[in-house]
Amino acid sequence: MTLQHPIVAENLSRHFGDLKAVDGINLSVSEGEIFGFLGPNGAGKSTVVRMLTTLLRPTSGTARVAGFDVVKQADSVRRSIGVALQDAAIDPLMTGTELLQLQAVLYGIPANKMKSRAGELLERVGLTAAGDRRVGTYSGGMRRRLDLALSLIHQPTVLFLDEPTAGLDPMSRIALWDEVRRLNSEGTTVMLTTQYLEEADQLADRIAIIDKGQIVREGQPRVLKSSVGVPTLIVNVSKEQLEVATAVLVTFGEIRPTGDNAVGVGLRQGAQAVTDVVRKLDEAGVRVSHLELNEPSLDDVFAEATGHRLEGETQ
Amino acid sequence: MTVAIATRQTVALTKRSTLAILRQPVLIVPSLVFPLFFAALSASSFSKTTRLPGFPKVDSFLQFTLASTVIQGVLFGSITGAAALATDIEGGFFDRLLAAPTARTGILIGNLMGSALFGAAQSAIFVFALLPFGVRVEAGLLGIGAMIISGGLIALGISSLMSAVAIRTGSAEAVQGAFPLLFVLLFFSSVFFPRQTMHGTYKTIATINPISYLVEGIRSLVLDGFSGLAIAQAILIPIGICVLGFVLALTELRRRLGAR
Repeated sequence: MTLQHPIVAENLSRHFGDLKAVDGINLSVSEGEIFGFLGPNGAGKSTVVRMLTTLLRPTSGTARVAGFDVVKQADSVRRSIGVALQDAAIDPLMTGTELLQLQAVLYGIPANKMKSRAGELLERVGLTAAGDRRVGTYSGGMRRRLDLALSLIHQPTVLFLDEPTAGLDPMSRIALWDEVRRLNSEGTTVMLTTQYLEEADQLADRIAIIDKGQIVREGQPRVLKSSVGVPTLIVNVSKEQLEVATAVLVTFGEIRPTGDNAVGVGLRQGAQAVTDVVRKLDEAGVRVSHLELNEPSLDDVFAEATGHRLEGETQ
Repeated sequence: MTVAIATRQTVALTKRSTLAILRQPVLIVPSLVFPLFFAALSASSFSKTTRLPGFPKVDSFLQFTLASTVIQGVLFGSITGAAALATDIEGGFFDRLLAAPTARTGILIGNLMGSALFGAAQSAIFVFALLPFGVRVEAGLLGIGAMIISGGLIALGISSLMSAVAIRTGSAEAVQGAFPLLFVLLFFSSVFFPRQTMHGTYKTIATINPISYLVEGIRSLVLDGFSGLAIAQAILIPIGICVLGFVLALTELRRRLGAR
């Protein structure tokens, strides 16, 4: 069965006592899409995924995944989706093959197909040689790849990946991105959460930015970036000269959040205004230690939407 | 979900929990070696106590201590499965099982069955390790079979109770924290000496301590032979503990899932 929108949430909320971890979000993921959920730690990303994968009951609101209600038809949802949760929780005492075969039993795959399916998946994620080794001996990247293979055992049409590359080295991260793209090209709808701007930018067809339990922006990365409009000039100065520098820069555009001892400005007139900025700062006696011109990024979108940057928080 | 699928899942999870025990020698070895070591030590140190008034008629102190060895080993070993369940909760593997269309009771039973099989295996090992040293089991092969089943059931019962703690707290440390409690229960029971040789408060506590009745059931099979009372104590009491433990663990599981 194909669905136009395999993941739909309406006014979905989850409260833990007084804490509104997720506060009335609406989202709709189209079939065959890679949908990125971008936000810092504690923004509510994983809580949303846990509700959509039936691990957590919503406090209010509704959600349908693969056409089934996540509360009333939880078992049907579980049969339809693949889930790779944060931290790749895998039993270190079992081998990769044993875990895949256990997962196959849990999803009702017939005994005569279990071995071949496990073998196919190990090959797919490049773990054939390590299949008979205990998972405790695997590297972080290998665990993530096995986690992905486990989530694919029953060939789900909807796949949830919660922080799939957190803590991975760049090579492992790129290998996992390639695999996610390959799965998507085969028709799998993917919803992934990430705190990495580059990951959302590289992988997602559409993203939602979540902050403090609410979706603050949603759309295609290209469209969101162009909505911020102008490039950002970041000027590093001494702490004592921050105020003077800010007074100069504000005449060139809107001041944007940056790190310590730096001022950012969205240049109204684009990159050609940089020489004027430098001249004006010099005239004001400001000594610039570093200067950087950034085209609009998802971090700018995040900063514009929330008033703070994601990049500094996740690194 | 059909019964066939739920059964297949439970068998697969039983295999997993059994493998988890077998692959951790650090857990297996102490629960096998220490009770045997204690049996050897007490047999050489307390041999003259068999002449005390009230002491049952035995061939040797080693024959008397066989039941104690079984109970000690099985009780200490039964914590392993519950601790593994708590580790699954802490580490996220439990969520992996819940995110799949797994029978919820199958998750619990699969985990407990590993402990039960280990308990039965421990009992068999203790019996066959002491037989070459002149220990006779008066109830014969049937009695040895009953002792092995009893060991499995005791492990299942204690593991169920500990699993309720594991599910409620989600903490392996909390489960391990029950170890001293088991030790105290063992100490204030008739595991090491018969109740007939005790006096005062110690005897009162041992009389209300359920561990005393478990060990006396198995001991009766070893010393007196096959009897209805021995089977009731060695098999039916553990079944009662299993029912109580399983109901508690299942209640805690439902509470945990409902609170999500």
